[in-house]
Order: sequence, then C-alpha cells, then structure tokens
Amino acid sequence: MTLLEHTKNAPQAWSGNLPVTSRYTYGLAGERFFRAMKDEGKIMGSYCPKCDHTYVPATVFCERCLGELSEWVDVGLVGELHTFTVLFVDCDGNPLEEPELVGLITFGDGGIIHRLEADPDELEIGMPMEAVLKPKAKRKGSILDIEGFRAVSK
Amino acid sequence: MGMRKVAVIGAGMTKFVRRAQETPKELSWEAARMALESCELTMDDIQAVCMGTAPDAFDGVHMKGEYLSDGAGAWRKPYLRAFVGGGTGVFTPIQGWYHVASGLFDVVLLVCEEKMSSFYPHAQAAFVTIFDHTTERPLKPNLLWIFAIEMNRYMTAYGINKKDIARVAVQHKQNAANHPCAMLGEADITVDDVLNSEVLAWPVQRLDVSPVSDGAVAIILAAEHVARRLTSKPVWIEGVGWNLDTAYWTNRDLAYPRYVEYAARQAYEMAGIQEPRKEIHIAEPYDPFDYKVLHHLEGLGLAERGKAVDLYLNGTAAPDGDMPVCPSGGLLGVGNPIAAAGLMKIAELFWQLRGEAGARQVPGSPKKGIAQAWGDLMQVGTVVIMGR
Repeated sequence: MTLLEHTKNAPQAWSGNLPVTSRYTYGLAGERFFRAMKDEGKIMGSYCPKCDHTYVPATVFCERCLGELSEWVDVGLVGELHTFTVLFVDCDGNPLEEPELVGLITFGDGGIIHRLEADPDELEIGMPMEAVLKPKAKRKGSILDIEGFRAVSK
Repeated sequence: MGMRKVAVIGAGMTKFVRRAQETPKELSWEAARMALESCELTMDDIQAVCMGTAPDAFDGVHMKGEYLSDGAGAWRKPYLRAFVGGGTGVFTPIQGWYHVASGLFDVVLLVCEEKMSSFYPHAQAAFVTIFDHTTERPLKPNLLWIFAIEMNRYMTAYGINKKDIARVAVQHKQNAANHPCAMLGEADITVDDVLNSEVLAWPVQRLDVSPVSDGAVAIILAAEHVARRLTSKPVWIEGVGWNLDTAYWTNRDLAYPRYVEYAARQAYEMAGIQEPRKEIHIAEPYDPFDYKVLHHLEGLGLAERGKAVDLYLNGTAAPDGDMPVCPSGGLLGVGNPIAAAGLMKIAELFWQLRGEAGARQVPGSPKKGIAQAWGDLMQVGTVVIMGR
C-alpha cells in the first residue's frame, strides 16, 4: 500500500495547505560560488588557515572559529565518491519508473550531494567522480548547473 | 534560589534592513562575530550556544534552528533553538540565563536572527498558517487583523484616541534616528504623518506598524567569576519571567495583557523590585505597533491601566524624561526582524547601562532597565530585568 491510498474508515477531513513561496538571496558566499560555477565552470572552496579546513561549497566564515574566510580555492571538478544510495520510490511513496542514484562526492573537507550518472554495479566507494556541467549558455547559477557526477573517463 | 549571578558581557548587531544580501546564517555569523569581538573572546571560550528565531516560514527553511547553527557558532557545542514567536528575542536570554545560572556553563553565546524578506511576496502572508485550520484560517486572517481588533478594544475600553497613540510612533522613530543600525529613523516625523499614512486595517495605519526586516543580534553571557575577570562593567541579569495566556484569542482580555503582568511579577520578585515605577530607569517594552507599547507598559506595572499614553504626552517616556521608553528607537524605528528585534532590546539595555549608547545615551547614569517581548499566538509575555 502506498502512502497515497486512503482507507474507507478514515475520519472526515478538512483540506488546507501551508503556502510558502520564498525568494532567497544567494548570500555573500553563494553569490561568488555560483558566479564561478556559471561563468567559469569551477567548483570553489574556501580555506581557513587558522583551523586548516577547506569548506566546499565555499563559505565566507569558518564555522569552527567564526573567522572570515578570504582565501578561496578552485577545488577542480573531480572528487571522491564517499557514499551513495539507489532510490526506488518518490517522496509520496510512488514507485519510480527507473531507479535513481544519489551520492556524496567529497572535495576538500566538504562535498556536494548530487545525482550520479552511472550504473549502480559500476560504483565503488572511494572511486574518483567528475562533475558534468551543463554547457555555459545553459548555466543559470544553480546547483543544477551540474547535471550530475560520473566516473572519470580513463 | 541557589542560582549563580549572570552578566551580559558583550553584544553585536547587524543593520536592520528591508532585504539583506546575506543569507540567514551569514547574518547570524556577522552578529556573533561582533559580539565576540566586543569582549575579545574567541569561539574557544564559548561553552554553549542559544539560538532564537521565529517562524521557519520567514527564512524559508524548515527547522531553521539547525540551518542557522553554523553561523551562530554551534559547531560541536551544546546548542538549542528557543521559539516563542515574537517573544523569542527576550526569551532567548532567559534560556541563556538558566544555562549559566544553573552552573551548567560559564560562558554562553546567544544569537537571534530573522530574515523576513525571503517570504514572497510579503511576510504577512506567513501568519495565516498560525491560526486554527478549521475555525479561523478559512477567513484568511493575518496579524494586522489581530492588532486592529485589539487596538480598537483598547482604545474603546479606556477612551484613548489615535492622535495620542501616534505620539508613540513619532517618539520611537525619532529615537531611532540616532541608531546606526536603524531602518526607519526619522528625526522630523510628526503626528500628522502617522495620522495621514495609509490605512491598513482600521484603526491601524502604515506608520502605526513596525516594518518587515532582516537582521541579527548576538550577546554573550558569563557567570559572575568569569564576568568580573573579563570586564569592569558587567551588566547583570537580575530578573526573568515568562508567562502564557490562553491560546484562544477570543478568550483573552484584549484591553489588558495579563500574561505580561504575570511575567513581570515573576521578574520583579526575582530582582527584588517592589516599586517598578521608581526603580526602573529605562524600559524597552515590545513595540511592533504603537498601541502595543502602551498595553505592555501597563502590563509591566509602569503605568496605570489606560494611562500609559500620558508618559508620552508629558515627556516621561522621552530619552531625557524620567523613564525613557525604547531609547533604541524600538521595533517601530530600528526595525522588526522578529527574534533579533527582541534581543536588540537586551543589547540596548546593555549599552545604555554601560554608558556606551552613543548619540542615544540617556542622561543620569541609569542603573536598572527592563526589556519585554510578546508573541506566540499573541499570548506570551517574556521579561528580563538588567542592572549594574
């Protein structure tokens, strides 16, 4: 039984919703991070010399010491597959036509959660994976400017 | 009571603005960093973090306490978000107070943040979801409704007119002209400006209301033995109180905030204050709307019922009066990023009692102040008394 099926014994219901529409700013770090991705095709991190820690995606502050981070670094497009999952149902409980892959790719001391373009049987934790970026003209300054990650071609 | 003495030793505050470029966590970080710098501490000195922030819908991140935690310095520290709606900004220091007073921690960082501009097109619509889903929400109520209904009741019960109430908005916006973080400071505003502003929900007009704002404030609390080592000017938290009235706004006394009175009684008793009108030198009551200040001053026992407006008419509430009210400029003048606006009142008392309030400094070396906020479903009162 999926989450959407109703029983005939269910109590009478009143329908409503919590309407929330947001217009977010990118923020000080996001503005710079997504411009670098959109315009230059780069994934940027930021380095805290005091804590010797590299944040990816880049932030303007170090969460450990609250120091301001001015040292930004290009961490490249290849990270390491830290872990992954294979999705079989959507968030309403409906079965997916095709299973989907989602993984955590580490860069510096952080990482990016994204879709994986791969055959699950080929995936090995610890393998290098590369970000596949949309063509520059189609990039909008979004995490979806990365289409997904795939195994580094040999 | 077996509790330790607790002092405020540092404070930081971002500008309050209509729409900040910073993300909510970046705003939190800016305020936290300023608070640390103000008392020359680092995150290594902070043992726990308290976060205050109001409805998740504003920032547009559900469970935003967790979302904000890195900006607030919560990394690998005991951390808890307090939330009592609009009362949050004065409740968070109460939460911080018992963290320290209990002996659990010696130094605690408190951060309050709100970014209301994320909600699109206007944050007011976020409030429709706080009402009962079957009895009230189908009527599409918002906060202006509540305030308008309550204001009308208050005016009618005591025979107070809008022209006199407008003096509150004028005074606070004038005070805010001296606050470097203020968004609506106006030195030349007049009663006529208020009375001629757009009617939103009668009797509430545009300039009777505080603005939707983005901003953050942070303070640092320390136990007595640490505070005395770090500063020659600790400002003590001498009394705290909080109280909740019925959740049914149809069942409350709309002309008198009983919940504020009960919260204030708790705080006065703890602070050993028997005659508030003589012993309190500065008041920072919650002022999201002008009449609300009057309501709250009466609940705090700082004026007779229906008579708080006299404090504005006779000059008592002015910055150079006998009991300055909202010398900061309050929510009406500085701005109203909900939780941050409440903590701003604590920061203001800290600066005023230390003689560090710059152009806003009230004369006479004030020794005791009271801050109060109000919220939840309009029925919680939170009160803090500070002294030196």
